[in-house]
Formats: sequence, C-alpha cells, structure tokens
Amino acid sequence: MHELGLARNIAAIVREHARGRAVREVRVAIGPLACVERQALEFCWELVTENSDIGNVRLGFVEAEGDTFVVREMEFMEDA
Amino acid sequence: MCGTCGCADPNNEVSMTDPATGQKVVLNGGHDHGHDHGHDHGHEHDHGHDHPHDDHHHGHDAPHVHGPGGEIIPLEVAVLSKNDRFAAQNRGWFEGRGVVALNLVSSPGAGKTTLLEATIRALAGKIPVSVIEGDQMTANDAERIRAAGARAIQINTGAGCHLEADMVAEAARALDPEPGSLLMIENVGNLVCPAMFDLGEHMKIAVISTTEGEDKPIKYPHMFRAVDLVVINKMDLAAHVDFDEAACRANIAEVNPKAEVLCLSAKTGDGMDAWCARLREIVAAAGESAD
Repeated sequence: MHELGLARNIAAIVREHARGRAVREVRVAIGPLACVERQALEFCWELVTENSDIGNVRLGFVEAEGDTFVVREMEFMEDA
Repeated sequence: MCGTCGCADPNNEVSMTDPATGQKVVLNGGHDHGHDHGHDHGHEHDHGHDHPHDDHHHGHDAPHVHGPGGEIIPLEVAVLSKNDRFAAQNRGWFEGRGVVALNLVSSPGAGKTTLLEATIRALAGKIPVSVIEGDQMTANDAERIRAAGARAIQINTGAGCHLEADMVAEAARALDPEPGSLLMIENVGNLVCPAMFDLGEHMKIAVISTTEGEDKPIKYPHMFRAVDLVVINKMDLAAHVDFDEAACRANIAEVNPKAEVLCLSAKTGDGMDAWCARLREIVAAAGESAD
C-alpha cells in the first residue's frame, strides 16, 4: 500500500548521495518482517524514476533479516 | 511527508485544526521530499563500516569494491530515516516534559474515540489528558474529545492513511501538554500503514472490537506485533456476535506473546476501571524512570 511513497524516499536518498554522478544500481535490503512487497516496490520504482534524472537506475534487492529496510549500497557507472 | 504513503498524491493537503478556536493550519511541509534542504545533517551516524562484522554486512565482504560497473558505496540509510528522525525528536520532547504519549491504532470503527471519551471522563481530576486526532477528513472526533473535557487537535491527513512523526510534532507543540499528563494519539483507522511509522510514542496500543471477529491479529500481524497492549472493545456485544474471547487472545498471543490484553466496553463502562488503572500505572512508571 505504501510502496509508491517508499520508492520516492529511495529516489530521494539516491539523488542525495549520488551528488550528480551517474548511478547504475541502488540495492535495498528488505527483511521478511519489513512489510514491503518487492514486486510492488519494483513497479513503483519505474513509475517514480521514469523520464527523470535517475531514469536508468536499476533497483536491486539484498536479503536481510527481521524488519530491516535500508538502502544498503549504490553502484556508480564507470567514470568515463 | 505524507507523500511517503502510496495513497497520497503530491498535491495532498495535510491540515491541523484546533476545535477550541476553529483555527486550521495547513501542514504540508515535506512534499519536495527534502532533498534540497536540511538534509546534510544527521548523516554522520550508523554507516555500516563503523561496525564491520555485524549482521549489517552479511553477503558483502568488501563494501568498497569496484565491480563490473563503477564504484560501489555502502549507505545503510533507513528508507524511513526522515520520519525516524522526527520520531526521535518527539520522543525526547515528550520525555523532557514528562508527557506520556500513547499511539492508538485500530481499524475504522473499533471504538477508539468512544474509548477516549470514556477514558477522559474516568480520569478527570486524576490525570490530565490531551488528544491528537488523526483522520483523513473532518474535525468530528476532535469535537467529540473536546466535548468530553479534554484538549484536542485534529490532524486531517487528506488522502494519507496514517499519521507521521512530523505531523505529531506540530500538533504536540500546539497542544502544549503539561508535565505528568497523558497524550493520546488516535491514529488514522488503518491496521496496515501506521505500523511502519514511529511517532515517538511511549507505547503503541491496538484497539479491536468484538464485532470485527477474532482473527484480526493474525490477518494484520505486523500491527499486532508492534503493540504492547491490545484492548478488546465492545465486550457488551460479544454474545450477540458469537465473539470467542479465548480464540482472540490465542490469536494475539500467536503473533505477539508479550502483548497485554484488556477486555472492556467503553459504552457500558465494564472493564474501564482496569484500563484506567493500567494507564495510571504507565504514567507513574514513566515518571519514575524519568527521575
């Protein structure tokens, strides 16, 4: 139900930490008790990033425990 | 910040109404998602490399590697960190003032407002009570609370399905609860989203009613796992709706073995003494731990 807003928060975190560098993928750690539906979040990620400055950033998932719900890491594009 | 919830559109209006004055304030602070203001502070903490061998790093042996793409940087930023920061501020504010804040959650119609009205009357002259009312629309509930004899602020979340910590911060400052008092936060009726949003409360309390059936706790386990106390309301109707109290208690225990359970009827007053006694204990215990 709240995945769209969660996707917006993740997008804000990506923008804040990228500081203009091109990002390939952001990886989010989600625990089984986090109350977050991966497929819904993936769907919302596309909606949120489509045609934006982070439109090509992939959303990846990392296994986690309990109610963990954090942006774990970000992978940048190779510096040209 | 109500954009955090999927059911809020970007133009959604969040407002706060004081029924005593009729004054309405639009809160909508955070719809720009904050990435252009005030976002650099507070990020010096909890980056994963401060504690290299804990469980934050399973599956990642080398956080700073250069993969097939470019550099990978570890972040460990909680997706709800903005709300969590506001919640931590609220918690400090409440504790500093000796105010005990309780976050009441339930589905719509479980009787939260009726329970609050009865509680305010029962505690009159014993513990000062003020109330933050959360609903999508109308100030009806705050009016009811005010008529029952307590100060109340209504927050209307518009399309939003839950209260967030920054809304509570604004409302709490407007209410200005006195030391030693109880601040009841009546969340938006919803057993899903409010579980994710810490408001800085001392304790979450779930209210369910006999008319909803015994299986709410196992249908909405996230919420029932997040609370310390469950109130089963409308016990006066239990016999008419074939409510099985033992089954309901077993369901609560299944998802949250530590949860306390109190059965009552806010309408008839049965069980209200035990509930009010428990509230007084909670306030007294919080006061002692603060000393």
